[in-house]
Amino acid sequence: MPEARWDVIVIGGGVVGCAITRRFALAGAKTLLLERGRDILSGASKANSAILHTGFDAPPGSLEVACMQAGYQEYMDIHTRLNLPILKTAALVVAWNEEQLGQLDGIVYKAHENGVDDAKQISRKELLDREGGLSSTALGAVNVPREYVIDPWSAPLAYLKQAVRAGASYRFGTEVISGAFDDEYWHLETGQGQFVGRIVINCTGTNGANIEQICRKPDFEIRPRKGQFLVYDKSASSLINAIILPVPTPTTKGVVLTRTIFGNLLLGPTAEEQQDRNEAGVDREMLEGLIATGTEMLPGLAGHAVTATYAGLRPATQFKDYQIGAEPGKNWIGVNGIRSTGLTAALGIAAFVENLCSETYPDIADFGPAPAPEWPVMPVLAEHGERAYQQGDGTEIVCHCERVTRGEIEAAISDGDVPARNLGGLRRRTRVMMGRCNGFYCSARVAELTQGKISPPLAGDKKDQT
Amino acid sequence: MSNYDIDVAIVGSGPSGIAAATALSTAGVKDIAVYERETEIGGVPRHTHHPSFGLRVFKRPMSGPKFIAALVRRCPDVRFETSTAITELRPGGVLELATASGLRTVRARHIILATGAREIPRHGRLVPGLRPQGVITTGALQQLVYSAQLRPFEQPVIVGTELVSFSALWTLRHAGIKPVAMIETGPRISAYRPATLFAKAMGVPIHYNTEITDISGIETLTQITTHTRGNKTATIPCDGLIFTGCFTGENTIAAASHLGLNTSNRIPQVDQNWITSDPCVSSIGNAIHPADMGDQCYLEGAKAGAYVAGLLAGNTTLDKAFAEIRHGDGIKMTTPSILRSDIFGEPHFDLSFHVTIPFRGMVRISQGEQVINEKSINCLPMRRITLRNNRFATGYPIDVSLIGES
Repeated sequence: MPEARWDVIVIGGGVVGCAITRRFALAGAKTLLLERGRDILSGASKANSAILHTGFDAPPGSLEVACMQAGYQEYMDIHTRLNLPILKTAALVVAWNEEQLGQLDGIVYKAHENGVDDAKQISRKELLDREGGLSSTALGAVNVPREYVIDPWSAPLAYLKQAVRAGASYRFGTEVISGAFDDEYWHLETGQGQFVGRIVINCTGTNGANIEQICRKPDFEIRPRKGQFLVYDKSASSLINAIILPVPTPTTKGVVLTRTIFGNLLLGPTAEEQQDRNEAGVDREMLEGLIATGTEMLPGLAGHAVTATYAGLRPATQFKDYQIGAEPGKNWIGVNGIRSTGLTAALGIAAFVENLCSETYPDIADFGPAPAPEWPVMPVLAEHGERAYQQGDGTEIVCHCERVTRGEIEAAISDGDVPARNLGGLRRRTRVMMGRCNGFYCSARVAELTQGKISPPLAGDKKDQT
Repeated sequence: MSNYDIDVAIVGSGPSGIAAATALSTAGVKDIAVYERETEIGGVPRHTHHPSFGLRVFKRPMSGPKFIAALVRRCPDVRFETSTAITELRPGGVLELATASGLRTVRARHIILATGAREIPRHGRLVPGLRPQGVITTGALQQLVYSAQLRPFEQPVIVGTELVSFSALWTLRHAGIKPVAMIETGPRISAYRPATLFAKAMGVPIHYNTEITDISGIETLTQITTHTRGNKTATIPCDGLIFTGCFTGENTIAAASHLGLNTSNRIPQVDQNWITSDPCVSSIGNAIHPADMGDQCYLEGAKAGAYVAGLLAGNTTLDKAFAEIRHGDGIKMTTPSILRSDIFGEPHFDLSFHVTIPFRGMVRISQGEQVINEKSINCLPMRRITLRNNRFATGYPIDVSLIGES
């Protein structure tokens, strides 16, 4: 049997890899996604602040702001058909001292430069009228009305599902080790055998420089930046309305307070340089520091329970802008340095990369007839949507903190496009065990429902099988 | 005006919920429903298989499931509705219920919340490290071992030395799993000292003055790093980490409702008869004082149920106004946290509380200048301290304070 030959192989199943896979599959390319984890979003994309940014504070004229704004627009265009949620919160960049207050007009100026014309400064009174929970030490703010909150996991999953329905394939647990180009095809060696494709697109995030070496010497280095977050219980989410942003410093956007699409309140991130590209743990001092910062801004936070703590790695480079480029004659496109704005920009990056591909490789970038797109309908996980338990899907609630039904769990495991194959994948698809009890109540039920279906198993094997 | 669907709705079918239902039914209240969100009734004892139940109620030790079965036999004429989760509590005795067929509301003359307690897991304790699989709580462990018949790990570490920590040890022994260590931040175990003998008999070392500084393992747990006072750092290879104790009331629905809450912990305020700030809602059991033994919860639930039966029969009229019980440093919380007078009852109350750190000295209850009660105590944070029969004048706040020995 002749080996399959792909038009496009995308390495890395983060949000950017999923969006690019979708874009090429919808363009008619025979597309394969390779992901070393057991599910999409196993790296940087699993941990972010889940905000759909207008790009108001991005560097004007940058590729980043162009991709963010294109991505924002496409998300707005397609989210209804994919049943992806939006929480229209707006963002407020809050000044907490005189110096920051003086910087607000600069923020408005930059926003207007970036085409975000509706950003405007508001007074202390208007700020505190809108956000009664904020500490009265706030002095004023910039209101950015079209900054929204989205679901950071359902969106990339929807992109990949749509790609799969357009004929794309994916392989999880498949780490690319090396590759060779024979002037026509790339032969990628992985732990799961060889994959052959015409064009390779590197979307490996924090591993980007290593994978780039397969084709060329990268002209950037990845400097992973760790961000730690705290998720507060749903009880805290009513304390704010808008996304509360600080006035950024030259090095960091600072600590954000935002509601999540799932009805929690998110506080973070920290910004810490680190060497390790794969592991990001939390530490008590940083978390306590976040709590202190958060409680200072929002005094009502005191007494509310922390539901989850996590850390993410942003694949920053020494450069401010994204590092996206095609290698002429080598059928290789590197998509690197997508730092914290990847969730917003992903669809825009995908469009940019498709364009870059057809410009750089005009002879091979005609992939044949594009399939009629199918639109997978994502399950409702948003707190403000009508969830399965509210509709009554005929099954009982298994996870009470997040109100996840047995039907939802079974559907995620048996999904025809991209089923959940590990616990992280199941959690991101359903919210199961993501709540305040961390599985105190439902671990055993979930273990039973997922027995033999996820790996590694949630809690070992049946006693009589050992 | 009788637009009520039922007389009493009880939320939760653990010992306190069953007790309240039994007391109400015995007193002649007719239409009682107990809503249980799990598929089976019984609450936490359902999957606690060691004989730590029954001594006070039945005068003999029983396992959790046997205890529940025996309690249910004493509770006729009560409707238990399982797989029925409460999603909202509204003023006027209205509950929103989620079942397999969707949402519905029920209006009851009185609602009793008996929603129990759970352990605070790793994240709520801000424990550092990665997030591998294998980091669980005792509650999850007991269900995995007893209900799902699974063997979750081979070499776990137990975090904590409360009574429930030894319950975890017992559960592991039942599953044939030998933990590699128990970890305690303090200089001695939190449970009564003889419990150490159980750990010793199982050959499990207890590391005192020790806290976890790192959790390792990308996908599944590989090891933890600990720090012991005196600057000793150690790594312990393990494939399971069980966070035990540190109970918190499961008050999600109450805290999101109109009920008055204690500001420090967001637990609903209750008066001396377990009535919340809303006169038609009670809150009882471990939800409001996490966490006592099943027998204590049962006895409390019975008293609370009898009181509600009296309310419904019109024996008692509730004063809408109440006075707060304030407490000083060193006291975690008090039960009750508010006081009401009713026109028939004597104005007196029993007060229970926990201390935040080990304490030896005097506890004093006072109202204004007047000392109502005093007692010498010598206790650890996990122990419940009770001062009975405190007489008070209605309408004025009460203060509870600790006076240490110098």
